[in-house]
Amino acid sequence: MRISTIAFANLRRRKGKAFFLVSGIGIGIGTAVALLSLSVSLREEIGSQMDQFGANIVVTPHSDSLALDYGGVSVAGVSFDQHQLSNDDAAGIRRIPYRKRLSVVAPKLLGTVDVDGRRTLVAGVDFASELRLKKWWRLAGRAPESASDVLLGYDVARAASAIEPFPGTSADADKSSAHHSAASEEFRITKERVTIGSREHRIAGVIGQTGGPEDRMVFAQLSQVQDLLGRPGQLSVIEVSALCKDCPVEDIVTQIRKELPHANVSAIQQSVRARAEAVDRLSRFSLVVSAVVLAIGALMVFTTMMSAVVERTKEIGVLRAIGFRRTHIIKGLMIEVVIISAAGGIVGWLAGLLASRLALPYFTEAGAQIELRVSLAVFAIAIAMLTGIVSSVYPVIRASRLDPSEAVRYV
Amino acid sequence: MAFVAVENISKTYNDQGSRIGVPVLRDVSTEIGEGEFVCLMGPSGSGKSTLLTILGAMNHPSQGRLVIDGIDVYALSDERRADFRAQYLGFVFQQHHLMPYLNAIENVMLPLAALPLAAIEKRRRALEVLEKVGLGDKASRLPSQLSGGEQGRLAIARALVNDPPLVLADEPTGTLDTKTGDEIMRIFVELNSRGQTIFMVTHNPANAALAHRVLHIRDGELEWTSDTKEARAELRFNPTL
Ligand SMILES: Nc1ncnc2c1ncn2[C@@H]1O[C@H](COP(=O)(O)OP(=O)(O)OP(=O)(O)O)[C@@H](O)[C@H]1O
Ligand SMILES: [Mg+2]
Repeated sequence: MRISTIAFANLRRRKGKAFFLVSGIGIGIGTAVALLSLSVSLREEIGSQMDQFGANIVVTPHSDSLALDYGGVSVAGVSFDQHQLSNDDAAGIRRIPYRKRLSVVAPKLLGTVDVDGRRTLVAGVDFASELRLKKWWRLAGRAPESASDVLLGYDVARAASAIEPFPGTSADADKSSAHHSAASEEFRITKERVTIGSREHRIAGVIGQTGGPEDRMVFAQLSQVQDLLGRPGQLSVIEVSALCKDCPVEDIVTQIRKELPHANVSAIQQSVRARAEAVDRLSRFSLVVSAVVLAIGALMVFTTMMSAVVERTKEIGVLRAIGFRRTHIIKGLMIEVVIISAAGGIVGWLAGLLASRLALPYFTEAGAQIELRVSLAVFAIAIAMLTGIVSSVYPVIRASRLDPSEAVRYV
Repeated sequence: MAFVAVENISKTYNDQGSRIGVPVLRDVSTEIGEGEFVCLMGPSGSGKSTLLTILGAMNHPSQGRLVIDGIDVYALSDERRADFRAQYLGFVFQQHHLMPYLNAIENVMLPLAALPLAAIEKRRRALEVLEKVGLGDKASRLPSQLSGGEQGRLAIARALVNDPPLVLADEPTGTLDTKTGDEIMRIFVELNSRGQTIFMVTHNPANAALAHRVLHIRDGELEWTSDTKEARAELRFNPTL
């Protein structure tokens, strides 16, 4: 027989009330956990979308003359500047302290070349990097393999009569590059080869219409284009994609600037930012709702504890009369409160996790996930206990102040 | 000096609303010696329970002092006074005030709950007093599974478990029929014969006759004290007891 024995006996005796309190706190904590983990998951999803949306850092040479335009970014490389970017600069970017946060470094050389007799913008690229960066490209055909393989933009391919409208299902439409989900295009490739400059190149694939600059471009292997343009080792632009959950893009930009003092480094964060703001708003909303629900839970604990004290006036008075100190009464009641609120925290955490898993598909299409986070569990239980304890401080102190002589009177 | 000294105690309850309360006890003084069995009698509302709770170190008198074993009880802090009750006093209430959700032995162990004793020692002591009141075989019963008289004995066991120098009882037979009431009184007499100091409030003259001394109270004032030696002598030869 210890003070805790009395507390446990009381919990057992008042199962209904204990259950009511546990579910009350559980609902509060569950709401908070669900909202919090939803916004955390959405935030993370946005992070992974950041690099799906392409480059968020563009490196160009310092230049005063704006010669060509690439995707809204001016490219100085085609004119003759003293500051050129080189293969070494691309390697330099991979050496910055934050290199682990870089998901793609895509160097490019741009120039105009005759393609089947027409002046066309040609980009020499590292195909592996480029295709990772341009995840929205729908590729018909294959990803380039050999050095002489090229990809044609949609308009270029049409002008070169390399494709024709495809009426039925695309028989030989791309199957090789699964990750680009080249769904059945409305065309098929009818030509195998194209002349770029003076050399014959194999058409590996055609990029489905994007409405962007790549429609009017040809993509070839970087070293081939460097040879073709007579600019070995030179680059016009380096596109960089940084993994960006909460990543300090500005810091990465600063580090690249340090590494490449002669280059122009700028961050672009467009549409994703708007979504991030929406998630920020969701997070703030979650906090407010959680606070309100928790406050209601706290109020419930308060009233239940108050009525428990009234209900137990006699019992507490008897305990005081037979020698329990105030602190013993407080201890006994607090044991009950702590057990109930810890249970509420655990129940709430589980319920919140379940609820957020069920709700997540309604907020996002992509494969965002609710992770099991120990910190969240600890947080949920701690908040539950804090709520329980804070809201029972007054009732418990009141209980400890009960006058024993009053309580043991013949009623 | 007497074991218990009640020195000029007055008590006025301050009812909410009325600023001047009604005096319930007026200048009460008395002494209780060690091993004495004292009863307090008086009409309803005369202040018996009030005096008992003041003796019980849980009801602050408006005036006067209570000294038990040389300790000025109401000079102690609230928490110290709780310790004093745990150490010096055993209570038997008219309503018994047993915890309905604890079984007999747990109810008996209640006054030991906060003490730093080994669980096994607490149990041993509780069993010992349960034996003393004849409930050794009913240790695991809930109070609701005991008869009225057994509940009364259980309440006495709880009052004795901390081995208190002074036992206070407020009409311990009030809710019981004559036969079971007598049963309870016999336990008190037996305890007293082994040296237990007892102070008891009662309405019943037959019960009061078992004490060494009876205090009579009326309107908050001690009126007179009767010696019961003759009555006790008579009772000793009463074969029904
Ligand atoms: N806590 C209190 N607040 C206000 N008045 C009280 C309080 N306790 C007792 N009284 C009053 O004090 C007077 C004496 O009460 P007390 O309980 O001491 O009487 P009693 O002699 O024990 O009566 P009974 O035989 O009915 O138990 C009564 O008038 C009662 O109403
Ligand atoms: Mg009374």
